[in-house]
Amino acid sequence: MKELREHAKELLEKGEVSAVIGYSQVSEKRTKPIIVTDPQDTDQLVFNEYCLNNLAVYLTKARIKVSCRTKDKTLKLAVTAKPCDVHSVVALIQENQIHREDIHIISFNCHGVAKDFGFEFSGDNIASKCINCETHKPLYFDKIFGEEKETPKASDDAMERIQEIERMSHQERFEFFKNEFDKCIKCYACRAVCPLCYCQRCITDKTIPRWIESSSHMRGNFAWNIVRAFHLSGRCTGCGECERACPVDIPLSLLNRRMAIKAKKSFSYVSGRSLETPTLVGSFNEKDNDELFM
Amino acid sequence: MKIGVFICHCGENISSTVDCPRVAKICESYPGVEYSVDYKYMCSDPGQNLIREAIQLYKLDAIVIGSCSPHMHERTFRNAAFSAGINPFMVEIANLREHCSWVHDDIESSTLKAIELVRMAIEKVKRDKPLSKINVPVTKRVLVIGGGIAGIQAALDVANAGYEVVLVEKEPSIGGHMSQLSETFPTLDCSQCILTPRMVEVHQHPKIKLLTYSEVVKVEGFIGNFKVTIKKKARHINEDLCSGCGMCISKCPIKKKAYNSFEEDLAFRSAVYIPFSQAIPNIPVIDETVCTYFQTGKCGMCLKVCDRGAINFDQKDTVMVADIGAIIVATGYKLYDIERKSADLKYKGYGEYGYGKYRDVIDGLQFERIASASGPTSGEMKRPSDGKEPKKIVFIQCVGSRDDSKGISYCSKICCMYTAKQAMLYRHKVHDGEAYVFYMDIRAGGKMYEEFVRRAIEEDKVKYIRGRVSRIYEENGKYIVKGEDTIAGMPVEIDADMVVLATAMIPQDNAPALARTIGIPYDKYGFFNESHPKLKPVESTTAGVFLAGACQSPKDIPESVAMASAAACKTIILLSSDTLEREPVVAKVNEDLCAGCFYCQKVCPFGAVEVKDVKDINGIVYKEVAFINQGVCQGCGTCTATCLSKSIELSGFNNEEIFAEIAAL
Repeated sequence: MKELREHAKELLEKGEVSAVIGYSQVSEKRTKPIIVTDPQDTDQLVFNEYCLNNLAVYLTKARIKVSCRTKDKTLKLAVTAKPCDVHSVVALIQENQIHREDIHIISFNCHGVAKDFGFEFSGDNIASKCINCETHKPLYFDKIFGEEKETPKASDDAMERIQEIERMSHQERFEFFKNEFDKCIKCYACRAVCPLCYCQRCITDKTIPRWIESSSHMRGNFAWNIVRAFHLSGRCTGCGECERACPVDIPLSLLNRRMAIKAKKSFSYVSGRSLETPTLVGSFNEKDNDELFM
Repeated sequence: MKIGVFICHCGENISSTVDCPRVAKICESYPGVEYSVDYKYMCSDPGQNLIREAIQLYKLDAIVIGSCSPHMHERTFRNAAFSAGINPFMVEIANLREHCSWVHDDIESSTLKAIELVRMAIEKVKRDKPLSKINVPVTKRVLVIGGGIAGIQAALDVANAGYEVVLVEKEPSIGGHMSQLSETFPTLDCSQCILTPRMVEVHQHPKIKLLTYSEVVKVEGFIGNFKVTIKKKARHINEDLCSGCGMCISKCPIKKKAYNSFEEDLAFRSAVYIPFSQAIPNIPVIDETVCTYFQTGKCGMCLKVCDRGAINFDQKDTVMVADIGAIIVATGYKLYDIERKSADLKYKGYGEYGYGKYRDVIDGLQFERIASASGPTSGEMKRPSDGKEPKKIVFIQCVGSRDDSKGISYCSKICCMYTAKQAMLYRHKVHDGEAYVFYMDIRAGGKMYEEFVRRAIEEDKVKYIRGRVSRIYEENGKYIVKGEDTIAGMPVEIDADMVVLATAMIPQDNAPALARTIGIPYDKYGFFNESHPKLKPVESTTAGVFLAGACQSPKDIPESVAMASAAACKTIILLSSDTLEREPVVAKVNEDLCAGCFYCQKVCPFGAVEVKDVKDINGIVYKEVAFINQGVCQGCGTCTATCLSKSIELSGFNNEEIFAEIAAL
């Protein structure tokens, strides 16, 4: 913790970055995102198992995006990112949203984060993305902190739910998602929290002509949630923020994970893992599996 | 807005299954429609007059034509509209023929469908915006790919019209397959005698830049403005210094390591070689794979004997970029591999014919070399195995061609004729020899072709047997050809001394790869596709790229030459104006909304998407957005479909217009 704060302070004092995006403690088992611009404030920075947010979202959203994209070196940003959040940063670099040289990645050796704030981090309270996580060390970073620790053994199986959906018939699956989507209130929290939903004008907000129906009707419920899944297929890095942010608990990661599994199986592609690999969307290879063509 | 609707009967093409007057009548009642009429031939002069008069009389702002495909007459109607004073892009066509009358037979339902199609077009035209044509400059230089007879002819025609030509040939010499042939049907004139003067002409032409032993590796840009990257492979001979004396060749100690591919592997060549004595340019090539110097670092005999100092072992492949206005593709063909299976298992071989196993079972091009005065036997009829004169020879037609089970369904077109010619040549050289031809059908369509085949049968006593050969095997120095005479209904067995297989013409191995490099379509065999089978036979579907010769489909020499001249003519037309008018159907980016993910750039097949910096009031770049070069964009719409936030619109087919069409259904 001390090293993290000192490092952040040094970055700001030397003017290497104009802001550090990080976490600060709210209560014992709860953190919140914080954007530090004053070196004095760096002592608020923390990193622990309760740092649930994916801070990569702040690289593209809000005004901070403007400053990081000026290509002005004095306006570099430092971001505190868990190894899985680094995937999002990588995806953003691949999609030209940020430039690698404008981002200072502070990362950690990670052994999982809690599923919910306010409860002790343990095998019973571990985020589902952490259960089968293979990236305990960040793939890209400029500074790394924290010691390596064992991930607690989870009490439930993350794949179980996906397999359950796989086993359903088409009709059952439709009914399942229909019931889930019925809860959707179109608050678009999933969009707001997603680092890869960086469009300045979402297609859902396009009204002339209207592409995506947004009524609280089955059509609108499906249109929004399925289009979002499509737009994220081959791009979603699996941070699970959409599901965590959803106020009505729609299991959105089921959709996104399923698409990610499909992308991996069909094209051996996992989003956000390598800066050198061309993105799945937009790249073509003659040997590409074409069973997915509709 | 005042809209005019014009429903064409297309003779009876549309009116036989669509009640055209009823369609016109109903359209009158649609909001915005000022005038609606049907007519027998809207594309005819009176039909176009009708449109022009109606535009002026009713002061129309936009028109909808219910007619054939826009591929046929969109331009006609746009011009008619333009001449009556309205923007040509305020014209929409409802395809009532291909999309309706030709594919349905019930009058009632197809009339209802026709009405829907017209209504969609009406809704679209209401949202259409006037567009103006885009002018782009034209580079007056033509790239010809392939130096066979088609490429040579095309290059000469274009160059003689006064335009610069870059002729790229992958082999060390131009000439192609025609230079390998002995004599040509149906006149039996010597192939090289008529070809080599053309080759020399190409070499000496001030407007032609000849690049042999070179390959096209990249094509960027668009009609009138291509940027072509050409790789010139290292010959290891300085072309400027070499006088073509041939000393290096005669002194090269490596004589029997490499087969001579010009002689169809019937002879050897040295490590430094020219493909054949009339090669253009007459500059040798060092084959690194067999040259002792390249293999062991020793030898260097050629270096010692060359008094011009032209040998350069250190020469490297060079890459050059040429600005090109139009491209003529004339990459020709190769012969089907008889016994081998090709790498992608597309074709199955004829193992039963023993090609490759029996040295005297040869293919058509090998026979050409044996019969050729400049060939390995100096034109004497000698079989490859023991050099004896074959007294009995069997020709088998359709080896590969017209054989679905081997993977080739088409007719190779030239084999009937060249087999007749080869049998005739054999009979002229071996007077006491017997020649048999196994055929499926004799296809001798062409001027003097049928007469030529009859001459082979009647004057030269070539015995034609209608049927297939099932097997060839060796017995006591003879090749037993077992087949069937389907006319007599009897099995046939011939003990031949030599067998010639008339193998199918297939595209060059690298044809699909080249097609992808240039960006032109090809069929399942790898032949390049023409834009329209009847009306645009020499154009590819990519603007500014033309096709000539056997790379498009099997062709004989006169056809290849005719096609080459046609392609040259099309190119000359293109180059004759200083600027090109392009359709304004191009994509445009909404810069305010563009998120700058550049997926559009990744998917654009034409490289039309560029990065544009957006600056704030202080001149500081605050974001990067996509920018579409209107000269390069072909309006394919791939970027529009890919854009996640729908920040790209295709002019003439924008979201609003398409949605209105769909909503009208």
